[in-house]
Amino acid sequence: MTTAAPSAAPSEASSTIEARLALDRQRRMRSGGGLAIGVAVLVAVQIALSSLGGFPESLVIPLADWIDDARRWVINNQTSHWSFSFFFNPVSDMIDWGLRAVEWFLLWLPWYVVVGATAMVATSVLGLRAGLLAGVGVLYFGAIGLWTESLQTVALMAVAVAISVAIGVPVGIAAARYDRLQQALRPALDAMQTLPAFVYLIPVVLLFGVARVPAIIATVVYALPPVIRLTNLGIRTVPAVTVEAAEMFGATPRQTLRKVQFPLALPSVLTGINQTIMMALSIVVIAALIGAGGLGQVVLVSLRGLFVGRALEAGLAIVVLAVIMDRVTHGAAGIGTRRRLRLMPDALAHLEPVRWVESVLSAIDGGLSRAGSMLAVPMSRKLGVEALVRHPRKVLGGALLLVGTLVGAAIGRADFPGAISFSFADRIDWLVDWVRDNLYEIGGTWFGTGWFSDSITIYAVTPLRELFSSDLAWPVVVLAVALAAWRLGGPALAAFCTACAAGLGFLGMWTLSMDTFAQVIVAVAMAILCGIPLGVLAARNDRFERMLKPVLDFLQTIPSFVLLVPVIIMFNVGRIPGIIASVLYALPAATRLTNLGIRQVEGEATEASKAFGATRGQTLRKVQLPLAAPSIIAGINQTVMLVLAMVVIAGLVGGGGLGLETVKGLRRTDSVGSGFVAGMAIVLLAMLLDRMLQAWTRRFTPVAGGN
Amino acid sequence: MVAAAGDEAVQAGIEAAAPLVCTEITKVFGEDLAAALTLLDEGASRQVVQERTGCLIAVRDATFSVERGEIFVVMGLSGSGKSTLIRCLSRLIEPTSGTVEIDGTPIGDLDDEGLRELRRSRLSMVFQHFGLFPHRKVIDNVAFGLEIQGATKADRYERALQVLEVVGLQDWTDHFPQQLSGGMQQRVGLARALCVEPEILFFDEPFSALDPLIRRDMQDELLSLQASMRRTLVFITHDFHEALKLGDRIAIMKDGEFVQVGTPEQIVSAPADEYVREFTEDAPKTKVVTVGSVMRPLDGETPAGEPVSLGAVLDDVLPRLLASPEALCVADDQGQVVGTVDRDRVAALLDEGSRAGAAAGDRTVEPR
Repeated sequence: MTTAAPSAAPSEASSTIEARLALDRQRRMRSGGGLAIGVAVLVAVQIALSSLGGFPESLVIPLADWIDDARRWVINNQTSHWSFSFFFNPVSDMIDWGLRAVEWFLLWLPWYVVVGATAMVATSVLGLRAGLLAGVGVLYFGAIGLWTESLQTVALMAVAVAISVAIGVPVGIAAARYDRLQQALRPALDAMQTLPAFVYLIPVVLLFGVARVPAIIATVVYALPPVIRLTNLGIRTVPAVTVEAAEMFGATPRQTLRKVQFPLALPSVLTGINQTIMMALSIVVIAALIGAGGLGQVVLVSLRGLFVGRALEAGLAIVVLAVIMDRVTHGAAGIGTRRRLRLMPDALAHLEPVRWVESVLSAIDGGLSRAGSMLAVPMSRKLGVEALVRHPRKVLGGALLLVGTLVGAAIGRADFPGAISFSFADRIDWLVDWVRDNLYEIGGTWFGTGWFSDSITIYAVTPLRELFSSDLAWPVVVLAVALAAWRLGGPALAAFCTACAAGLGFLGMWTLSMDTFAQVIVAVAMAILCGIPLGVLAARNDRFERMLKPVLDFLQTIPSFVLLVPVIIMFNVGRIPGIIASVLYALPAATRLTNLGIRQVEGEATEASKAFGATRGQTLRKVQLPLAAPSIIAGINQTVMLVLAMVVIAGLVGGGGLGLETVKGLRRTDSVGSGFVAGMAIVLLAMLLDRMLQAWTRRFTPVAGGN
Repeated sequence: MVAAAGDEAVQAGIEAAAPLVCTEITKVFGEDLAAALTLLDEGASRQVVQERTGCLIAVRDATFSVERGEIFVVMGLSGSGKSTLIRCLSRLIEPTSGTVEIDGTPIGDLDDEGLRELRRSRLSMVFQHFGLFPHRKVIDNVAFGLEIQGATKADRYERALQVLEVVGLQDWTDHFPQQLSGGMQQRVGLARALCVEPEILFFDEPFSALDPLIRRDMQDELLSLQASMRRTLVFITHDFHEALKLGDRIAIMKDGEFVQVGTPEQIVSAPADEYVREFTEDAPKTKVVTVGSVMRPLDGETPAGEPVSLGAVLDDVLPRLLASPEALCVADDQGQVVGTVDRDRVAALLDEGSRAGAAAGDRTVEPR
């Protein structure tokens, strides 16, 4: 009995440990149990309703017919009803007039003036090297014989962006001043950015028909959110004390805005404009579907005729335009960073010939500056504009461009000369054939890109599609969505998501939605499987990160549709190129945010882990990845939304699903109704996925808060 | 030099009334203001009001007036409501109740336009983190107030240059604020406030973001500026030493209320409560306490030697007291000898402080 006393303590301790472990097990069981019960319910429902399969026709709401009726009404009343004669038509006419004016002016300018102006602007913002490259880029438009189309696209962009800014900046300012307005705008802006560009086209077509004006309106709607958001943000982040100081000096609200808030918000506003331009460019090809013309039209027509080479030429022109506009506006947003006039990379600066070249350049620059001063000083005196004196190079450049324009107008030789010509379409077409002959089945074996795309189709996409659309009874799918949503975000989210999922059926888009959904799942899985490991690698290896950065930058700059072209070269048309392009399109988000998340953990937490002797793998698994989880999940969230946007667009090149149905609605007037309904299904799918993913992201945020 | 021509006229006109009179200013943050005010009227404490209504009492019944040419310092720790109070004085924050009168005009009655006019012509403020406009050059920062009033570029630059010279920044006019050191940035803030020739200047902890040495320079500079310009100053600080050095009068603030208002000497020699006493413990008493308050009234014979002035602080007479065991005679403004001061009297004062400190240490009083 006496021995019992000393042994009592350890047993008590071990019993508490056991109790703790048991509690742990219990907790895990319970959460696993919930899952098991959920699955069991789903299985039971499936067995009970196994004959049900896809969504029954009888439950479908005939929305498509109603839309067609509305379309007919619009066509019949376009000339008579007040809303058209007093609102839609005048708006449409005004935009059309503006577009024509800009287009006429750009095409009236001699081609060398356009090249020179681009080069000069790029030089003044980014430096000489970028300026020369920009000039060459503009020459490319003419060289491939798409001068007119390119400038049409530029004109379309210019008008769309001008309208976006004209609406977005005042709205952003108002949102910054009135909290109510900001609160009212936020869900609208969120929705606008969540939805794939595609879905804007049909309602616009419904009201304005197929032409360039509706293309501009769709572009404006799609590209508007960043300007509003970043103007609002920029003004709101001006430090309160700065605004207070202005008020203390008796500044009126207008004065405070004009002299303090707006100037300080300007970098943010410019970033917003930059994003707006990029979004507008990304929709340019898609807008060609409703008659935007320009480069997008060329890409679209070429792809339809399977002239892949021509499509790539035109697509590359869009990329060139995107890169020039992105870099220039991005550079302009970083105000105050004066760049030196350098041609060669700094790394070569120690070489004798390089130094010689640079000294010649700076001598030329000095000469230009002096010549400019000779022009600017008398001009500023005459015009009474002091500022001219400070920018002799700009004055000289402007004068040269003006002279060039006048000379061009006088001798009437403004068109792009046919002598400068360049084409690689033939070689691309040859490459496409070569790929088909050699890579689909390498060396006559079973292995090749053909095998790759067949495998994805046979083992992933098709079974998933069959599973969702016909093998599973539709209530099972809806119930599964409801259960998942409940777990992630509670009853409210479950109700919302159930409504969205069921809505897909009621719209009569069940099968098509499940087709698109299956593609999204496959593409997301692939993007995550590639993106997250790449992000981890980038986070742990600085050199790899540096190598990866330009690739990711490039992938993010390419408008989504253009990305399809090279993928089609490799995989032919069908569902697979759409999926692969989606993976490429979404990869940067997953990789970037994984990398960012892990790198943010660097520091004490990682050091502490190392100090306890953890291996690199252990540190990654036990410290870095858990702490990076919020960022990684945010990355997955973005990945899903990007994939959805791309999969829908891929409907154009044989991706099928909701995208194809929407396009059909755009092409053929008799299926506008079903196209509109398909667009609504895309909206429902997008909102469902977005809400669920955001709930998932929120669940992880407290972990970051505890850090 | 900063004083304007209109100064005398203004002075003559308002000689009688204090330029800034504040009556029972209360500021409550929260939703249910009416309930909070009712509770306050019933004398409920800050905690009780917060528990019952969820409202935060930032300032409670602050009543004071500031004379022309006076530096009125409001001293309190962070969260004591002093920054809220100074913002109520110019309605940057709207007071919940109470009145602020500037030159006899209750500013609560002014509409937006009137308030702007008041701020443009009579008030100015220097901010804790400078509040400079980062996108404007130094000179455009300084000239901002005049620009807002619609002055021409030539006029406002001329005036801005004068003021920049006063604060010693005439060579930095074309720099941007971020290119300047903290001390220089606050000089810009000061110049910007002075540029509009305000009658009343508000200082919201202007020197607390500065290094100790720079802070001392700025304090000295402010005192010498004030000696020549004689404006009405309200100065917020959390630094008791700064309050003693700058203040003609000091208000000590705790939990939104004034605990004590008085001259530095009154506060140091007669702290109103334990809270104030803790601040005074390591205060440099000999720099604050005057000979007059420790002297022994004249009884009988007058000691020989040069008399010391009644208003001199102890620091001024300590060398002489230490040099000789004799008492010194004290003379008033007219040169009439009114009393004597000796080592024992001074030692007693200093000793009292250290004993209080020891006692406080024994009781391990919470700092707040």
